[in-house]
Amino acid sequence: MSGNTETATTAARPAGAPQKSLLAKLGLDRFSALYLWGAFMVIFGIWKTDTFLSVASAKLIMGENVAVGILALAFLIPFCASTFDLSIGAVMSLSVVITCFLSDEKSRSFNMPVGYAALIAVLACMCVGVISGFVVVKLKVNSFIATLGIGQVVSAIVLKLSFNRQITGTFSSTFERFGRGDLLGIPVVFYYLAVLGLICWFVLEHTPVGRFIYATGGNPEAARLAGVRTNRIVWGSLIASSTMAGIAGVVLSAKVGLFTSATGPNYLFPAIAAVFFGASQLKGRPNVGGTFIALFALAFGIKGLQLVVGTDSYWVNPMFQGTTLIIAVALASQRGVAKIRKRKAAAAA
Amino acid sequence: MSKILQIWSLSKTFPGQLALNDATFDVEEGEVHALVGQNGSGKSTLIKVLAGFHDPDPGHHVTMRDELFAMGSTQAAHEAGIRFVHQDLGLVEAVSAVENLALGFGYRTGFGRRIKWREETARAKQALLDLGFDINVRVPVAMLSGAERTGVAIARALQDSEHNISILILDEPTASLPGADVDRLFEAVRRLKARGISVVFVSHHLEEVFEIADRVTVLRDARVVATRSTSELDMSSLIELIVGHKVTAASVDRTIDASSAPRLAVSGLTGLGLNDVSFEVRPGEVLGVAGLTGSGRDTLIPSLSGAIDRFGDVTIDGVSLPSGDPGVSIASGLAFVPADRLRNGIISMMSVRSNTTIADVKRNKTGLRLNHKKEKAEANEWIRSLSVVTTGSEAPVSTLSGGNQQKVMMSRSFRLNPKVLLLDEPTQGVDIGAKEEIHTFVDSAAASGSAVVVASTDSAELARLCDRVIVMHKGAIVDTVLRNGGSGAGSMAERIDQVLLAGSSLVAHK
Repeated sequence: MSGNTETATTAARPAGAPQKSLLAKLGLDRFSALYLWGAFMVIFGIWKTDTFLSVASAKLIMGENVAVGILALAFLIPFCASTFDLSIGAVMSLSVVITCFLSDEKSRSFNMPVGYAALIAVLACMCVGVISGFVVVKLKVNSFIATLGIGQVVSAIVLKLSFNRQITGTFSSTFERFGRGDLLGIPVVFYYLAVLGLICWFVLEHTPVGRFIYATGGNPEAARLAGVRTNRIVWGSLIASSTMAGIAGVVLSAKVGLFTSATGPNYLFPAIAAVFFGASQLKGRPNVGGTFIALFALAFGIKGLQLVVGTDSYWVNPMFQGTTLIIAVALASQRGVAKIRKRKAAAAA
Repeated sequence: MSKILQIWSLSKTFPGQLALNDATFDVEEGEVHALVGQNGSGKSTLIKVLAGFHDPDPGHHVTMRDELFAMGSTQAAHEAGIRFVHQDLGLVEAVSAVENLALGFGYRTGFGRRIKWREETARAKQALLDLGFDINVRVPVAMLSGAERTGVAIARALQDSEHNISILILDEPTASLPGADVDRLFEAVRRLKARGISVVFVSHHLEEVFEIADRVTVLRDARVVATRSTSELDMSSLIELIVGHKVTAASVDRTIDASSAPRLAVSGLTGLGLNDVSFEVRPGEVLGVAGLTGSGRDTLIPSLSGAIDRFGDVTIDGVSLPSGDPGVSIASGLAFVPADRLRNGIISMMSVRSNTTIADVKRNKTGLRLNHKKEKAEANEWIRSLSVVTTGSEAPVSTLSGGNQQKVMMSRSFRLNPKVLLLDEPTQGVDIGAKEEIHTFVDSAAASGSAVVVASTDSAELARLCDRVIVMHKGAIVDTVLRNGGSGAGSMAERIDQVLLAGSSLVAHK
């Protein structure tokens, strides 16, 4: 029962170059947020030419989204290490309330120079990160749960400090200039976002620490066995995120000058949405550039829609944030599915 | 014997890749037919085309029982009596064998759609008994052994006997089975053969091919190189067909300075599955660790590397290593390649470059900044020196084949110039060509003065690499097999196997 079938043994050559889909060629997958941004500019630009396409509204959007942008960076850092920090909204409130509280001359006797108040606020937020890190690394609580819990505790502290009332900080004119002025025609706070973004980008993309953060996010056990101190990375990333949230709070204080109980929570979702949407952009992993593009694409879209809807536009923001986030992530996972299919086909070959 | 399936000029093109080139293949009634070849040689593509998962390129000619047969859909394959068991079995681990069988078939229900559990259980029990598995069919499948799970998967594939089942295809059924389980699986295969069902299976283990297969088809570079009766072949001629040239096992000739101080000293090592283990390894020496699963062979390297906690002293050149801290151990001159490549080795979302350099990223730093250019150049050098098949240093490591991923793991370790190199199952799931390359690299690591420890279930591999092999049983070292001299007759691999088989009696001696 032997059937010998000898055939030539020359190696098979790949036939034809890899084919790219039209979608990939146009960059619609990796640059979808840029296309979306462009579409918003065109649509709302035509629809509301006077109001939407004005320098004033561009400046407004830039200035308004600085705190969200810094918060997005705060969420991004641990997220790259597959660690969630959902406490950053509350931590930002804490920073605002401490800054306003300590520098308020009316209700309390602190009346501290605002510089010190801001410093103390950021340090307090850093401490929250140390505690979150302890809970996640040492008590081994899942970061999602841990930071959700810590966030609630921080909210409670914020409510206690503020008596659930609005607090107006008494800031020096220097401090206010830090938050409200323009520099070269651009809101001064926008530069803070740019600088912090640059630092994050440099650390994540161009230093060993960034490599360790992404490795921890990719496969924590493999990273640990390769010598990465994954516990330190997770802990450190949580400290970095709450410090960053603290800075966001100080910038917001300088810009707005008062605390209200709605300060923190309203900023959390847009920040998370930008990071998730941004993770599908440029590189196919969470990254600073993608986050910023997604952030401002969404911001311009919301502003346009608000102008169109008019006075009753309070519902536009969450509606828009929610739907775009789901659509963006759905598109990204379609891409993921296609990638897996392709990989399977290649593996089968 | 009559041929039930005959295939002529079958090709399959994936975008950018000709995966199967003009293949000719046939299956005889009631035979066991092995498919062998290196990773990427086209054997998986062939069976997936047979099973209808892939649509073949036009121009082929296929007959099933002398009738023209249209391939390319799972339904057509199913109706023609072809059944397929995937490598990962596709079982639902949390539920019982009974339910796993019913999942593919539908429950028999009585009044009010009540499931007739008694009937279902009896049916499952009988189906598994027919394959030679007398098991409890009501416990979750996860609690069964590897062979038993494979049995459940086979029983599920074969259960709808209303069709005349003629061919069962098994994709690497033994890849994750320990030795004793392989025997039970082969018993099931023999029973199928006795029922007149032809079994086509893919395997990397060539000794299995000779044990069970009637015929073997060899693929190389997407072509069918030969189909032969196993009785016409021996091991070396089969390897020659697979690799395409003669492979001569390099004979290692190392001279180890017996007076030199030990590089790696382990004393009183106790931990998961280990009880008071002590040994020393000198510079340039390769120590093998043999033993059955659960003997301590499988936990020795994780304990030494810091993957899991341990008690006892482990020193490199007199410097003590902390328990459970791979980072500090690596800084002290240790490098290791874990056994479970996917779970503990590669970081699949990262590139080949990042995976190569992750254990020492700082080397390519200028100032604060990572020098990407320098790092890329270094990664490319490693890709060249280990002949890693990849589209480049920036390709995600997940796009590489298993053997090439393992080479990336090797370069990650070798790059550290380790004083001590620990390898756990270094060639598991690796094809024969890459295996030889990895072995050559281990030789060069030893030649450069590393103390090497290799734990492996493959006695031939230990014999190829090691100067000395310690054999473990119940967490302790029960014997040492030396390359040169020592007790027992036969080749080194045979002597290792003898000790392994005699493991329990050796403990009794002590």
